Amino acid sequence: MQKEAAIREPLILGHKTYHDVTEDVCRPIEDKAPKMWYILFGIALVIGLYGVGSIMYLLGTGIGVWGLNKTIGWAWDITNFVWWVGIGHAGTLISAVLLLFRQKWRMAINRSAEAMTIFAVFMAGTFPLIHMGRLWVGYWVMPIPNQFGSLWVNFNSPLLWDVFAISTYLSVSLVFWYIGLIPDFATIRDRAKKPLAKKMYSILSFGWSGRAKHWNRFELVSLVLAGLATPLVFSVHSIVSFDFATSVIPGWHTTIFPPYFVAGAVFSGFAMVQTLLLIMRKAMGLEAYIHTKHVEYMNIVIMVTGSIVGTAYITELFISWYSGVEYESYAFINRATGPYWWAYWSMMTCNVISPQLMWIRSLRRSLLFTFFISIVVNIGMWFERYVIIVTSIHRDYIPAAWSMHFPSHIDIAVYIGTIGLFFVFFLLFARYFPVLALNEVKTILKGSGQSYKESPDYHKHH
Amino acid sequence: MEMSKKYWKGIDELKQTPEFIKHKDQEFPNQQSVEDFLADENLAESSTARRDFLKFLGFSVAAATLAACEAPVTKVVPYAVKPENVTPGMPTWYASTYYDGASYASIMIKTREGRPIFIKGNKDFGFTKGGTNPQIIASVLGLYDSARLSQPLAYGNKATWASVDEGISTAIANAKKVTLLSNTVISPSIKRAIAELSAKLNGEGGSKFEHIQYDAISYAGMREANLLNFGARIIPSYDFSKAKTIVSVGADFLSTWLLPTEFAVQYGATRNPEGEWMSKHFQFESVLTVTGSNADVRSMIKPSEEAAVLAYMIKALGGNPGMSVSAGSWKAAADKAISALRKSKKSSLVVAGSNHIGVQQLANELNNLLGAYGSTIDLSNTIELHQSEDAKALKLAANVAAGKGPDVLIMMGVNPAYSLPNGPAFAKGLKSIKTSVAISSYQDETASHCTFVCPDHHQLENWSDHQAKSSEYAVGQPTIRPLHNTASALESLLVWNGAATRGGQDSAVAYDYIKSTFAAMNPTGDFNYLTHNSCVALPLTPSALIFKSAPVKDVPKSAETEVVFYQKAAIGNGSFANNPWLQEMPDPITKVTWDNYITMNPVEMEGKYATTYDQEHGLNLATVTVNGKSVTLPVYPLPGQAPKTIGIALGYGRGANGENIGKAAFQTKEYGGHVQTEDGKPTPIGANVFGMVATGATLTYSAAAKIADANGTYPIAATQIHHTVMGRDSIVRETTLSIFKGREKDAYNEAHKLQKLDKHGNHVEAPVSEFDLWAAHPVEKIGHRWGISIDLSSCIGCGSCLIACQSENNVPVVGKDEVRRGREMHWLRIDRYFASDEEAAVGTKADKETFSYDAAEKAALNPAVVHMPLMCHHCNHAPCETVCPVAATTHSNEGLNQMAYNRCIGTRYCANNCPYKVRRFNWFNYPSYKKFTEVNPAQDDLGRMVLNPDVTVRTRGVMEKCSLCVQRIQATKLVAKKEARVIADGEFATACSDACPTNAIVVGDWNDLKSMIREKSEGVRAYQALEEVGVKPNVWYQVKVRNEDNSLLNHIQVAEQAHH
Repeated sequence: MQKEAAIREPLILGHKTYHDVTEDVCRPIEDKAPKMWYILFGIALVIGLYGVGSIMYLLGTGIGVWGLNKTIGWAWDITNFVWWVGIGHAGTLISAVLLLFRQKWRMAINRSAEAMTIFAVFMAGTFPLIHMGRLWVGYWVMPIPNQFGSLWVNFNSPLLWDVFAISTYLSVSLVFWYIGLIPDFATIRDRAKKPLAKKMYSILSFGWSGRAKHWNRFELVSLVLAGLATPLVFSVHSIVSFDFATSVIPGWHTTIFPPYFVAGAVFSGFAMVQTLLLIMRKAMGLEAYIHTKHVEYMNIVIMVTGSIVGTAYITELFISWYSGVEYESYAFINRATGPYWWAYWSMMTCNVISPQLMWIRSLRRSLLFTFFISIVVNIGMWFERYVIIVTSIHRDYIPAAWSMHFPSHIDIAVYIGTIGLFFVFFLLFARYFPVLALNEVKTILKGSGQSYKESPDYHKHH
Repeated sequence: MEMSKKYWKGIDELKQTPEFIKHKDQEFPNQQSVEDFLADENLAESSTARRDFLKFLGFSVAAATLAACEAPVTKVVPYAVKPENVTPGMPTWYASTYYDGASYASIMIKTREGRPIFIKGNKDFGFTKGGTNPQIIASVLGLYDSARLSQPLAYGNKATWASVDEGISTAIANAKKVTLLSNTVISPSIKRAIAELSAKLNGEGGSKFEHIQYDAISYAGMREANLLNFGARIIPSYDFSKAKTIVSVGADFLSTWLLPTEFAVQYGATRNPEGEWMSKHFQFESVLTVTGSNADVRSMIKPSEEAAVLAYMIKALGGNPGMSVSAGSWKAAADKAISALRKSKKSSLVVAGSNHIGVQQLANELNNLLGAYGSTIDLSNTIELHQSEDAKALKLAANVAAGKGPDVLIMMGVNPAYSLPNGPAFAKGLKSIKTSVAISSYQDETASHCTFVCPDHHQLENWSDHQAKSSEYAVGQPTIRPLHNTASALESLLVWNGAATRGGQDSAVAYDYIKSTFAAMNPTGDFNYLTHNSCVALPLTPSALIFKSAPVKDVPKSAETEVVFYQKAAIGNGSFANNPWLQEMPDPITKVTWDNYITMNPVEMEGKYATTYDQEHGLNLATVTVNGKSVTLPVYPLPGQAPKTIGIALGYGRGANGENIGKAAFQTKEYGGHVQTEDGKPTPIGANVFGMVATGATLTYSAAAKIADANGTYPIAATQIHHTVMGRDSIVRETTLSIFKGREKDAYNEAHKLQKLDKHGNHVEAPVSEFDLWAAHPVEKIGHRWGISIDLSSCIGCGSCLIACQSENNVPVVGKDEVRRGREMHWLRIDRYFASDEEAAVGTKADKETFSYDAAEKAALNPAVVHMPLMCHHCNHAPCETVCPVAATTHSNEGLNQMAYNRCIGTRYCANNCPYKVRRFNWFNYPSYKKFTEVNPAQDDLGRMVLNPDVTVRTRGVMEKCSLCVQRIQATKLVAKKEARVIADGEFATACSDACPTNAIVVGDWNDLKSMIREKSEGVRAYQALEEVGVKPNVWYQVKVRNEDNSLLNHIQVAEQAHH
């Protein structure tokens, strides 16, 4: 049973019983979905299908339907990729790193954060696939035995590292998430009345019987997976940053990138968790489990990572000047004062200034303000990637090749479409999966003794 | 007992069961016809199991998908009987001669399996000495133009040659007046045929037949001036290679003026700073031309000041210009020119571009004063090109327009309805002519109004002879059997004269006639030897012409705003408007493709018109009015354009009435198809300004103009939207001749140095070449290592290399919309940099402390220009190679950076990581996507015949780039290997180095210690662009040396050297 110091704010408000927890989590799955769910799902599905249609058109016609050109070979595609991968960082960080650090507050949020991670990585993975000129031979990036002679992949290429990094991250996250779901699926299975649902959940729950041995193994596997996943949290975005850091392009060729990217990823990932959970707790009546304290904790993470990101921006600026390299210094002068100044200053405002507001206690405990900032941060982080990618290559070494990037409507459609698809997945998750790790949350419920201590009966006797 | 053994198929047969007996005569058991099977009523009930159905479905979808991935199978038909001299896979080269009425050159034609696919200059024979221009190289594409007429037309309908000949011969016989309007005829055979026709029709002293020569671009002013000064309507030869001082007043002699194919080669030879001397070139002009961009000293003048500039110099040199002189803003440049002319005296050459007789007279006067005649100008060897008789042609045009034309008007090689100042009226008037005949390959503006259209052969299908200069007789030979039912113009003239009969597609009429012409001119000459070399020298008689001054007449008048009508390097007089390679060739100065525009100095445009543009932001439109005629075009900011002048290029607005002159001649839409006008015709590109050309004593190409704002903006497709090099001296390096001659290399070409630790732990400076991030490829001293050297001093930016590369490497044409989006596919581009006011010279910051990037983005009012050809640098530490996840781009053991298109998955990382930005991505399937149907020749059954079979046509989604003509490297190696010898230096040439008229591009094997490329790479002027990035390219540039006084640059470079 959870033992908390009395002065700590409780992690679960009110006096929930074990049964209450089960009821709270299972009710949305067992009841009919509210109308609002159908409306949101419909909107997300339409947007998602629009994106899928645009992707089909892209694959059928050619990469030329995007706004890229001879100078700017990547723009929205890789910006979106890095943005989504970044968002997909919070889940594993919450479930793995916070598990190892025994941060119990993670229990209320880890399930949905992990789901978000997985769906975000799905979306992220779409972009490296569809940005290829010839998707149908994309499997050549896998080092598989082949009949092309002695052809092998190029292990020098950061893009190949990406393939391994992203696929490893996705598979470990998926397994981790699924392992955590097993006991909860079993609970739902046991309560399910409809035969189909019972069948489905019994398949999903993998024959979980709740024996002590099962719990023992469950804990062990979780710990092992957390150990595996923790380095991945840092490796994935470090490797993504190598796409840029190992190049020769001023503005990309930057050794500060790995830590800066990881901090940025956690920053944007937590912002996305905030955005989603603030809506979900209201919509699904989970206010008792996810409350101001959780939001405040996450805001502190946002503040810390935001400060790291801000420091990195300023360090970059300083180094570009200090290096004395003509191209390097121009790359940053151009970022701040060139044709894309608005993107740079949007990034600076959203990512450097806004998280500093979290120093103020009342603001970081304000749910409305948090929701607003969480959106701002993700806008800022999108611009960060756009600034890094586009403003570096649009004016690099040879001025005669300098160019501008203007997105086409397909660029926009594919991006918006992935947001739609993301919500399609997330809404399905919210409807059919236990959004709270219900069996884990039960471990932090106050013991009956403690509840009794707080009850009027107890005080009567003393 | 039976003798033979009996075999039975089975127990059934042995036992002769009833079933066996019943079925024994049926080959297939249970025979059932398809009808019976389908008619079976129970068929519907029989079920395919769901799983089977899904299996079938899955299999067929997979099979269809796999089948769709495969390239379609194309069958190859082998030769049943191998033609002589044609070996599949081996090219056959023919020496020939090119003449299209404007450009002339001795050329080499490459044929593969009987198809001509590539043209280059002939460096061994002919006075053009290998000089070509983009149009000549691109002309091979015209052979495969599907809009070319495939048979004669009578009254707009398809007809036979017999009926057309019959009609024309009868018309000539019955006519009172027959006029032949042709472009300049330099063919001795055609001249002879015309003379015979004239003799027959005119008899003794008759005037029934008249021959008028008329060119779209006239040089009559020169001939008239020479008539006044020398008593003969000649144009003498100019020899730029002897000229130590060159003064050009408005003559773009390197690209469009008179005989640029010869002049560019001559000029290039004088631009070598390592040579004994280097020419000093002064240019006075209004529009910044290719020639002006190469000048050492360039001055901006209005067209009306041309006479004054020449007169000022005449006066200063002690002559009498015969007119009053007041100096203008050009005085400083003119004074410099005068002092240079004083020094070089007869080794000087003055040329003027104007077609005003008076301006040419003044140029003659000045040349005479300097003693250039007999030195740099040869009166005995005359240029026979450009014989346009403006007065006669204009009179004929006026008559035709007034309905008073001749009974029979034959038009040969001309398009007067397009190019005459009163073109539309002339076209209307053509209808009132009894019999009008067009000898034309297209049903163009003129031919579409003619009674008969007699399509001529394409030059590459035709026998022809030429005498472009009195010193040389040249022939052009066919390299392919005529593709269509066309006939040589020479044969047509002979047939109509009754001197020959039609010979059909394999006609020998023209051949025999040319042979007899040659025999008459050169009785001992061997015709086969002539065709082998393509030309033969003719003896010259020394000229007896003596200069005499004549009162200067007809000089241009000044106006508030003056417009100059000039020609662009690619489009010229407009006859190539349907050639997509040329339409997509970036203009050497503006880098704009597919369009016509008004040029104006950005300083004058400030606050009135947009001075920058990109993919989304076009240029403002304005209306220019000359003599009541007006056109509306976008205003292009051109630094160096003389204030108070504007320029508009001729040669645009072809096919204004939707004439079928070729798909590429019209504007195309974003998703393919032509832009339609309101009446459903395709919209021409740009506007035709031939109507604004002034008609005085001669046709003159400048006029008073009014310019007014028009509403709206217009998208512009340029390959370069940033125009300065931002003071980056590791890209462009420039110095002056005196610094180059007087100082050490470090003054003007200092190697980039980095800090390193020596063995004592001290920081020392070391050149970049000592640092390697990667293990070096074993390319030194082993096998070949191919390299390129590009001399920025001799590159004139003409664009020939770019078109040659496009032709050699099957580079797709992508059309205006895609170029506007920054997606042109050229493997070789020519970056053009203007100097800014922040720079002492292009690439050299005037003051490092105060250097402003903002100000450096703007070009100077009259900027110095550098042309910098850029292709793949084949880096030894190629950044593209390390980042490709599938190793589709790798390094060869000969130092080449190679692309394996088949392996490419199209991540574009390589292009992003290329510091030179030379990689090109196939954004669409250019050979089949509908957007490119109108522009890409590879989408046309006939057009794709031009493709080089040695080079893969790339598919959608793969990266491509310069391969250093690897197919040519392989071919060269094979030839050497068969002959068991090493490759000689100079044996291997890329398409670009082959095409370069000034030999600015040198390629070769760097491991060959005695090779030219090795020597160049180790020379004092050699540097590598972006050396400090450490990619170790195999391309070297040679520092641009300008023969000018630049005190600021002198201060910087000399002071810097003193500092070290």
